[in-house]
Amino acid sequence: MNPVPTGLAAAGVLAATGAAVALVLPARWRSAAVGVATAGVGAAGAAAGVAAVSGHGWRAEYPDVLPLAGVSLAVDPLAGWFLLLTGAVAVVVGVYAIGYAGRGGHGPGARGPLALLPVFVAAMLLVPAAADVPTFLLAWELTAVTSLLLVLVEHRHGPAVLPAGLWYAVMTQAGFVTILIGLVWLAAAAGDPSFAAIQDAAGGLSGPVRGGVFVLCVAGFAAKAGAVPLHPWLPRAHAEAPAHVSALMSAAMVKLGVYGIVRLGFDLLGGGPRWWWLALGAVGMLSALYGILQAAVATDLKKLLAFSTSENVGLILLGLAAAGLLASAGQPAVAAVALAAALLHAANHAGFKALLFCGAGSVLRGTGVRDLDRLGGLSRRMPATTALVCVGALGAAALPLGNGFVSEWLLLQALLHQATDAGTLWTVVAPVAVAVVALTAGVGVATFVKVVGTGFLARPRGEEAAAARESPPSMVAGMVLAAAACCALAVLPALAGPALDRVTAGLRAGPRPFEGGAVDLRLAGVGSTIAPLWIAAGVVGLAVATAVMARLAGRPRRRAAAWDCGDGPLTARMEYTATSFAEPLQRVFDDVLAPEQDVDVTPAAESAYLVRSVQYRRRLPDRIEARLYRPLIAAVEVAGRAARGLATGSVHRYLAYMLAALILVLFAAAVR
Amino acid sequence: MAAYAVAAGQAVLVAALAPWLLGWMRAVRARLEGRAGGRFGQPWRDLRKQLRKEPITPADAGVFFVAAPPVLMATSLLIAGAAPYVSTRGPLSGVADLVVVVGLLLLGTVALALAGLDTGTAFGGMGASREMTIAALVEPTLLLAVFALSTRVGSTDLAAIVAAGAADPARVISPVGALAAAALAVAVLAESGRLPVDNPSTHLELTMVHEAMVLEYAGRDLALVEWAAAMRLSILLGLLATLFLPWGVATSLHPAALAGATALFAVKVFALGGLLAAGEVFLAKVRLFRVPELLAGSFVLGLLAVLTASVLA
Amino acid sequence: MPVNDQLLSLACGLFLLCAVGVLWRRELTALIGLLTLQGAALAGIAVLLALDDPHPEALAVAVAVGVLKAGVLPWLLRRILARVPAARETAPLVNVAASLLAAAAMTLLAYAAARPLVDLAPAATARAAPVGLAVVLIGFFLAATRRRAVSQIVGLLLVDNGIAAVAFLATGGVPLVVELGVSADLLLAVLVLQVLTTRLQAAFGDTDLDDLRELRDR
Repeated sequence: MNPVPTGLAAAGVLAATGAAVALVLPARWRSAAVGVATAGVGAAGAAAGVAAVSGHGWRAEYPDVLPLAGVSLAVDPLAGWFLLLTGAVAVVVGVYAIGYAGRGGHGPGARGPLALLPVFVAAMLLVPAAADVPTFLLAWELTAVTSLLLVLVEHRHGPAVLPAGLWYAVMTQAGFVTILIGLVWLAAAAGDPSFAAIQDAAGGLSGPVRGGVFVLCVAGFAAKAGAVPLHPWLPRAHAEAPAHVSALMSAAMVKLGVYGIVRLGFDLLGGGPRWWWLALGAVGMLSALYGILQAAVATDLKKLLAFSTSENVGLILLGLAAAGLLASAGQPAVAAVALAAALLHAANHAGFKALLFCGAGSVLRGTGVRDLDRLGGLSRRMPATTALVCVGALGAAALPLGNGFVSEWLLLQALLHQATDAGTLWTVVAPVAVAVVALTAGVGVATFVKVVGTGFLARPRGEEAAAARESPPSMVAGMVLAAAACCALAVLPALAGPALDRVTAGLRAGPRPFEGGAVDLRLAGVGSTIAPLWIAAGVVGLAVATAVMARLAGRPRRRAAAWDCGDGPLTARMEYTATSFAEPLQRVFDDVLAPEQDVDVTPAAESAYLVRSVQYRRRLPDRIEARLYRPLIAAVEVAGRAARGLATGSVHRYLAYMLAALILVLFAAAVR
Repeated sequence: MAAYAVAAGQAVLVAALAPWLLGWMRAVRARLEGRAGGRFGQPWRDLRKQLRKEPITPADAGVFFVAAPPVLMATSLLIAGAAPYVSTRGPLSGVADLVVVVGLLLLGTVALALAGLDTGTAFGGMGASREMTIAALVEPTLLLAVFALSTRVGSTDLAAIVAAGAADPARVISPVGALAAAALAVAVLAESGRLPVDNPSTHLELTMVHEAMVLEYAGRDLALVEWAAAMRLSILLGLLATLFLPWGVATSLHPAALAGATALFAVKVFALGGLLAAGEVFLAKVRLFRVPELLAGSFVLGLLAVLTASVLA
Repeated sequence: MPVNDQLLSLACGLFLLCAVGVLWRRELTALIGLLTLQGAALAGIAVLLALDDPHPEALAVAVAVGVLKAGVLPWLLRRILARVPAARETAPLVNVAASLLAAAAMTLLAYAAARPLVDLAPAATARAAPVGLAVVLIGFFLAATRRRAVSQIVGLLLVDNGIAAVAFLATGGVPLVVELGVSADLLLAVLVLQVLTTRLQAAFGDTDLDDLRELRDR
């Protein structure tokens, strides 16, 4: 029996059951049942993914399911990789949601939102499994609609939710339209909507058609992936959605955009000219830098994580661009390494970002705030959450021992490889890309030191944080699952080697990137190795040994007040906040971020020189949004007002419009 | 087995040498400034004294404050064991490459920065914030230097780079080598907190970076932090020495070759340290917000090194 | 790699580094020092090329270039500087860190753009030609973003040095007459600017060229 269809069928059945159960069961049991069902959908999808990446292919046609087009499904190793990724995130989120949504009848615990959760996961699993254009578009739209409804779940709780939903709806639908146009154009040019037929025909298509399809679809996919400059929905939607939905969206749904680009660029079109990849690489570098800089100065924990998503997507896109560029320059071996780096980073990001968003949800649940300037002191009050967030932050900061490090190392190896035959362009682009990755990594480290250091350590900075309480066991269990996945990816990435080998080999990208190695990653085509397990063992072992030896040699530890300059006791207001921590970086990148700050000095009444109070305000508007989207929105508004003149309320007028339209169509037909 | 012994020996060598190096640099500086200065062994005596004293944890600090010194020490020891200071035939050459070394250094910095934030004092936060800003801006230079060095060998493996340099000295003294060395030297100054980026001997709140982070440490903890910081300086100077003056690094595990390489390594590191100390006499610390200029300059040097490497290749 | 080529690449590297250094430093005296060093590097390049293909005229050009670029022009600039009290570039239009990054970008561009030139004559000398192009770009950048008159003169001199370097490296030397003609023009320009700076100083007490805009408004 082939495990792939079994897994997918189980996922479908479980999703339907979960949705039905959510609508029927009383509030007390609802979240537990739906959580288990969602985790089950995820587990089934992940199982199908594992089967697919270990070599079980599957395809099937169901012409009668939908009118006109039917449904066509196929799972190859690439689809399997994304099934596995999505499914694994869903398992984490399902377990987490039991506790998170368990508060009762409002918000994420209500009937509708809970019923939507398994459906959303199933829709995401359907996207990589689609094997023709109509099925793909259907799954894509289903994902978009369910996620939009889930973003809007807490619309009664904050005024920012509705605008966030609006931004997301507009951006995702605009993206859908460009993908629709692109894929339909491609299918029309190829003469058949199935992916297999497109793959065969793509080589014979003309350059402008291929280029046009690539640009349109990649624009849509990049919007879904949250790449700069198509990102403004991301910090809004991720910040305002319930935490488990943010986790699903950021860790899994955003990756579907990446999947779309890989499927289209490397599989359907089978690679392309240099300018495609240069443009994609530019978008990737811009996303990486802009995303991490905004994250570095953000103080809203969930917004920070959302901008960090943009950054990671940028790195993934950079990997894809390097793979495409190297493949077009006749360097298949290194191209495969770059592609593997991008795919592994997608998985790593899914791991740590699911964990971090769940952690942010846990903090929000325990304290009621997500502003880092008001947090702190959680390491005593929420020890489990703190420890788990640290695992996630280690991965997100791409430090050794964390899972992000391995994929960034792979990406750097692909970029550092001086392919002398790859031409001048590569000579010039590679150092820039390396510098961007390095700066991104450096600022990323500072960002996550800020998250852990000001969000969780030392004294609480607000009453909310002082009254924090630990989350229920099911939430912690969900995060533990994610943390375990992160640790596994961090120390034993070689386990993913065979799967990535199959994925890249299936994509005509070239030979397999890895050369065996059970513990260390050996790269084919690039002479570098790394053994994350030994590095982790070395650091942990030496640290423990040092601590034990120092303790044995010295005297016991004592706790005393910190030095307070004799003006004691230290208050929370004397601590560095997230804003002050990021201030030097903000000043260094002043020209990029363009913060709006003003200082109001109120002098005492009797003298202009005695200051009574000083007020400092800082706002960090998103510059790209202000420069690019505000004019666009203004133009749309003007057009909308002008269009209002067409609709006066007169029935005669509307009938006249219809007549005019009919005449116009007939006229066009006659002339043609 | 012998290779593991070499790695352990290197770690012990660097750990033993680091306080002496610090003492030597202080002595050079004092002599050039016309002071008598302390004895060479003074840092060792300080360490011994501190190690015996009791460590004190601030009231609000948690596990990060306690864990940071051992973690910092562990990263330093691991790099000291993994880098091909004495022999290119260490056991760890397939485990950690230059990128991992950069990452491990950063991991140590992060541990200390979190410890600074964990104390809940303004000084701790200030030091952590500044240190992380500098660390973030140094990364591009470091990795571009790595890029330039790895180009000719086709690998970021440290042992491979050093072995290639030792086999063909002409390739080390070339425009690529000079540019990469200059870029890396600036990055080393920033990473190890020396002038003109940070003043290791200041305790003025306006200027201190590293010292502000570790202000709350006392006793054994302080000893570990200072020792590890001294080791980081030796590690970085050692990297400069082995990458750009690779002569004498043993390419076999023969005892005589190893002994010679050990002696030569010590001489090279002490010479570089003396040079650095002499240079510091003439330097003042630059403002924190002028540091990006310095790092942008070293970044350009690194980029030119990469370009030259690919053009002349 | 033969010794001669090695020396040539060192001279080219020094040539480019001086240009980057000019962007890095703020003191005008340091700028002139770097310019002198760059002139010497240029002369070095010319001498090395002349030695490659012994030719009395080429050697003469090399010597003339050395005298002019490393001797006469810096001397004139120092004389201007002696009369101007403000000896620092305090507030360039683009800050130093950004200028350096721009210089990096321009160098990359120069390498990418000079590829056809290099392919045309794939000798070791031609491979270094992008260095000259990069210096031309950096010189223009300097002239466009600095406020002090002396910095702008230095920028123009960088442009000239760059052009000369490209000419030497790509074609193995410029005809003597052309080189001398160009150099004479430059000498004239520097002399004119010297007069101008002195007048500017006398009229406004400053050499910020942005003040010249006020002349038009009046």
